Amino acid sequence: MPKRRDIVAIVLIVLPWMLLISVWHQSNITSVLTAQKADTIGGRSDSRALKESSSLQSRDIVHVVRTEYIYSRPPPWSQSLPTLHIITPTYSRPVQKAELTRLANTLLHVSNLHWIVVEDSQRRTTLVSHFLQEKGLNYTHLNILTPLTYKSRGDGRNPRVPRGTLQRNLALRWLRETFPLNYTQPGVVYFADDDNTYSLQLFEEMRSTKKVSVWPVAFVGGLRYESPKINALGKVYGWKTVFDPHRPFAIDMAGFAVNLGLILSKPQAYFKLRGVKGGYQESSLLKELVTLSELEPKASNCTEVLVWHTRTEKPVLVNEGKKGFTDSNVEI
Amino acid sequence: MAARMKLKLKTVFVLYFMVSLMGLIYALMQLGQHCDCAEHNLPKDRAISRLQEELYRLQGQIRQLEKAKQPEKKQPPKSSLSTIFVITPTYARLVQKAELTRLSQTFLHVPQLHWILVEDSPRKTPLVSNFLMKSGLTYTHLNVPTAKERKLQEGDPSWLKPRGVEQRNEGLRWLREDRKTEPEDDGQQGVVYFADDDNTYSLQLFEEMRSTRRVSVWPVGLVGGMKFESPVVEGGKVVRFHTGWRPSRPFPMDMAGFAVSLRLVLANPDACFDGEAPMGFLESSLLKGLVTVDELEPKADNCTKVLVWHTRTEKPKMKREEALQVQGLGSDPAVEV
Repeated sequence: MPKRRDIVAIVLIVLPWMLLISVWHQSNITSVLTAQKADTIGGRSDSRALKESSSLQSRDIVHVVRTEYIYSRPPPWSQSLPTLHIITPTYSRPVQKAELTRLANTLLHVSNLHWIVVEDSQRRTTLVSHFLQEKGLNYTHLNILTPLTYKSRGDGRNPRVPRGTLQRNLALRWLRETFPLNYTQPGVVYFADDDNTYSLQLFEEMRSTKKVSVWPVAFVGGLRYESPKINALGKVYGWKTVFDPHRPFAIDMAGFAVNLGLILSKPQAYFKLRGVKGGYQESSLLKELVTLSELEPKASNCTEVLVWHTRTEKPVLVNEGKKGFTDSNVEI
Repeated sequence: MAARMKLKLKTVFVLYFMVSLMGLIYALMQLGQHCDCAEHNLPKDRAISRLQEELYRLQGQIRQLEKAKQPEKKQPPKSSLSTIFVITPTYARLVQKAELTRLSQTFLHVPQLHWILVEDSPRKTPLVSNFLMKSGLTYTHLNVPTAKERKLQEGDPSWLKPRGVEQRNEGLRWLREDRKTEPEDDGQQGVVYFADDDNTYSLQLFEEMRSTRRVSVWPVGLVGGMKFESPVVEGGKVVRFHTGWRPSRPFPMDMAGFAVSLRLVLANPDACFDGEAPMGFLESSLLKGLVTVDELEPKADNCTKVLVWHTRTEKPKMKREEALQVQGLGSDPAVEV
């Protein structure tokens, strides 16, 4: 009889502690899972990524995970890194899928990235929809059609609207509609065209943008690279460019990034649609957001080139002929 | 005395049980809610992201040092996947670093890939050497200059002379030399692919080519003056080729449209590209010594999907740069582009 009582006593002592330990253990796993699934807007996250630590560039660990899956997944979401919102306007042409493929292969290496793809089309095309679903990046797929009147060659009355303007503005509007004015999570907005080349270091440099950060861009303005001029105090005082250096912001679309909070706090700032001279598009947005002295130079005080304004040749399709030689069902 | 002892013990037990139960309930309640840590996270956030930048830079430096010590070290963990040896000829021009950068960003996703980069240059250039060290890939850096008479001159159209021939052959030569030190069967497992530095490759392509037993083929987009060129597959075998340009060639396909198994490359030590071959016959000059058309293995869903595109990058316009350089005001040449 006393033995049974002893046993009961021991069970009563041990039981709550065992329950406690098992529940704590489970909670550790679930809290990590919820942290990763947060902010996954329309993308898939990889549960196997649990095995990976949340460090940025541990390529060894990524290697181990890759041998188990065929296609790679973006790095696990980190709670402490600002989100990069990359806005890419795109339009249908033969090289579209190729350009998006290699851009996505680049973006798959970057943590906490949200890709906003805006198509210049009446409806979201199946090519882009399937492509985005398959790649596994966090993405938002938008579309807006540029009316033909905007696309026509410039004359006095209807100057041509630079390509991608409506699409970039739509993305800015989407950001303002999605995130409230007092949004506390840090974020950075960058306009990435689908034919440029980006180094991975660039994305890490822009993460610390407080207002607007700038850096050199290769192959623009008819030069090897264009760059802001930095004085001894580390502030921007001018632009090292030949083509109209007196523009308020003589910089290419790929040469700056804006803090998300700044975008949200100035809801009237958009790219100007009409009456914009060639090369003044970036200025039309930036002059509403920031002054020259507030710019933050990156890339080692604007001495390194981390982004190249490459352009892809239009492929020669002479052998297709009028009816199309190749099977039109095959997607390229 | 004993009764009081028993009573005390009993109360102790009951007390203990109640306390632990309450503790458990409290803990369970805690787990349901997220702690609102927004206030005190910001300075930590900044510190963490600064540290991670530093970490990234330091890791890059460590990789540089490691690679400097053992430049051609093979991956220690032997994976069950066969290695893909990618041979890429490259030459110095403005967009070279950009092309290699985005190519490496694709390759970084592919496990068991060994990049053999061959420069068209009498010496290994620091741009490419430094780039490879920082890339994080397993690589071999070679160089062989193209003879002057075979080289394209300024203003020549790109199709006038075949490009990259000596470089690809050098890549094959190195591979055969290197494999001599590994006679066992494992060392012969692998696939050889010729990837030009301006094309675009999807990740799925590399997985398709891994299972090559002799020579595998697939469609290539944006080549031959068409949306895509492709082998035509019937009954799981290649019967002919769908191409708009010189379909009478023995193997009318692009360099990016086939891969050769390493075993086949090693078994035919004399098979290489013939620089004297007429336009468009470069691929055939290699393949005719290795395989026949019906031995070809079709990939990419029986050659119905396009997984590689023959993109070409425009030459950037340098009018203003050239004008400035005449004045002696060109952009700083020390800044690598």
